[in-house]
Amino acid sequence: MNYLLKLTSGEINRLIKYKILPVSLITSFLWIIIFLFISKEDARNIAPLLIFIDVSMMSILLIGATLHLEKQEGTIKSMMVLPLSVGQILVAKAFASILLGIESVIVTSLALYLIHGITFNYLLLLLFVFIAGGAHVAIGFFLALSSKDFSSMLGLLMAYMFPFAIPTILFTFGVIEKKYEWFIMISPSHSASNLITSVVINEYDWTKIIASNIYLLILASLLFVFTVYPKFKDNAIRG
Amino acid sequence: MSIAFSVENLYFKYPTSKTDIIKGISFDVQEGEIFGLLGPSGAGKSTTQKILIKLLEDYSGSIKYFGKDLKAIDKSFYEEIGVGFEMPVHFSKMTALENMKFFAGFYKNTANIQELMERVGLWEFKDVKVGEYSKGMKVRLNFVRAILNQPRVLFIDEVTNGLDPKNARTIKDMIAEYRANGGTVFLTTHLMNDVEQLCDRVAFCVNGNLQEISTPRDLKLKYGKREVKIEYRENGVTNNALFPLEKIGSNNDFQNIIKNKEIETIHSGETSLEDIFIIVTGVDIK
Ligand SMILES: Nc1ncnc2c1ncn2[C@@H]1O[C@H](COP(=O)(O)OP(=O)(O)O)[C@@H](O)[C@H]1O
Ligand SMILES: [Mg+2]
Repeated sequence: MNYLLKLTSGEINRLIKYKILPVSLITSFLWIIIFLFISKEDARNIAPLLIFIDVSMMSILLIGATLHLEKQEGTIKSMMVLPLSVGQILVAKAFASILLGIESVIVTSLALYLIHGITFNYLLLLLFVFIAGGAHVAIGFFLALSSKDFSSMLGLLMAYMFPFAIPTILFTFGVIEKKYEWFIMISPSHSASNLITSVVINEYDWTKIIASNIYLLILASLLFVFTVYPKFKDNAIRG
Repeated sequence: MSIAFSVENLYFKYPTSKTDIIKGISFDVQEGEIFGLLGPSGAGKSTTQKILIKLLEDYSGSIKYFGKDLKAIDKSFYEEIGVGFEMPVHFSKMTALENMKFFAGFYKNTANIQELMERVGLWEFKDVKVGEYSKGMKVRLNFVRAILNQPRVLFIDEVTNGLDPKNARTIKDMIAEYRANGGTVFLTTHLMNDVEQLCDRVAFCVNGNLQEISTPRDLKLKYGKREVKIEYRENGVTNNALFPLEKIGSNNDFQNIIKNKEIETIHSGETSLEDIFIIVTGVDIK
């Protein structure tokens, strides 16, 4: 546990040193500026999308960036000869990435409250962000381990976004009708979006919420156990 | 003396490689010795090292670490070994000291970081980001990283590659001291100098095979030319004479020169390790 803490704080320390946390804070503040110029109702509708982007797409991007960077710097190899397990290293990375998502949720929630007086169930949002973030971290690992460098990882992310994230954006703006939501929930990203949206707009369709949670948890576990964990060590040593 | 590593019939291939990269090698590393793997680039030295440090696991054959099956040893193994990689292994946006403290934080035993960094001449640059270090500085920091945990067995891959002679000397001295204090070293290199100056025993590694595991001295005895070369002065000019070592005590010409001429130099035939490597393996290491 002690090691896990050290690893995670090391990850966060690096998020600061490599300017990732500052950049993420700046994007969160960009969202705040958007809130300043739109109505309360619009803000409530668009906020879930912004949180969703931070928790899902940014998680994938972050894991891809750090993994490829560390491989390039050789530091993963150096970590592999520490008395640590691969599991500990993976969990610390996942934690750090989810924490980054939570940071942006906090900034966004605070802005919504201060500017428009909007409140919602923060604890439930935190829980959902954790689950949605965890699943996207797993997807991030999967894409990073399937690509040979960061630019090919970006290509994979684009390929992922077309079928899996764009429908969510279309759905938010009403281009895709509500009755088709079950269909687009096949995308883990839309399941994540569904969870976040439910809390922020305060409308709970519990069948969908439970289905989303189960789906994301199972997907994350499968990805970790069957691809990320076994592939990580081989991948880290190469090059 | 116990045996630190006992390797028998080791085979390995990467998932992407068509043929075996390591082709059935066997050797022992004694506790307290510096064991060198010498061979040209691509011979499989780094691969062998990665297998011994449990980074590559899909090998066949048997490897014992102080008598225990390597595959059965858990991550506490890494408390006991130190690894110096060939390539830099540091966070470039963090300072050298931050890097060392981060890695040291995971070991039960740690060496004095300041002492080590002073020794390799990096302490005054401890607050510089590693990204701004020169190649040689990174190599020296790699070495500090390798001995951070006061390891029982030290692995080093091409340790002096990219170092100027003075810094190479410092690192070699530190390795020799480490051994003198009871440490065991497994090193890989393509440089004869490293072997001549450091290794107690050396194995020639070519194309995934080992040939001639021996001490540098025995190699020279075995493959060196067994002859004596004498330079002597006669009538104001220097002459050369060459005699086989065989029965030299009863060689009359030899006796005659020794007794009656003004000797300038006497040398036994020395063959460089470089030449011996070519004789044994048929491969020129350069
Ligand atoms: N990750 C890898 N995947 C496939 N082949 C590799 C990998 N690493 C090394 N090789 C190949 O294995 C052989 C031995 O490499 P290596 O052990 O690095 O040699 P050395 O350290 O003696 O220079 C080379 O032919 C090299 O191309
Ligand atoms: Mg090598």
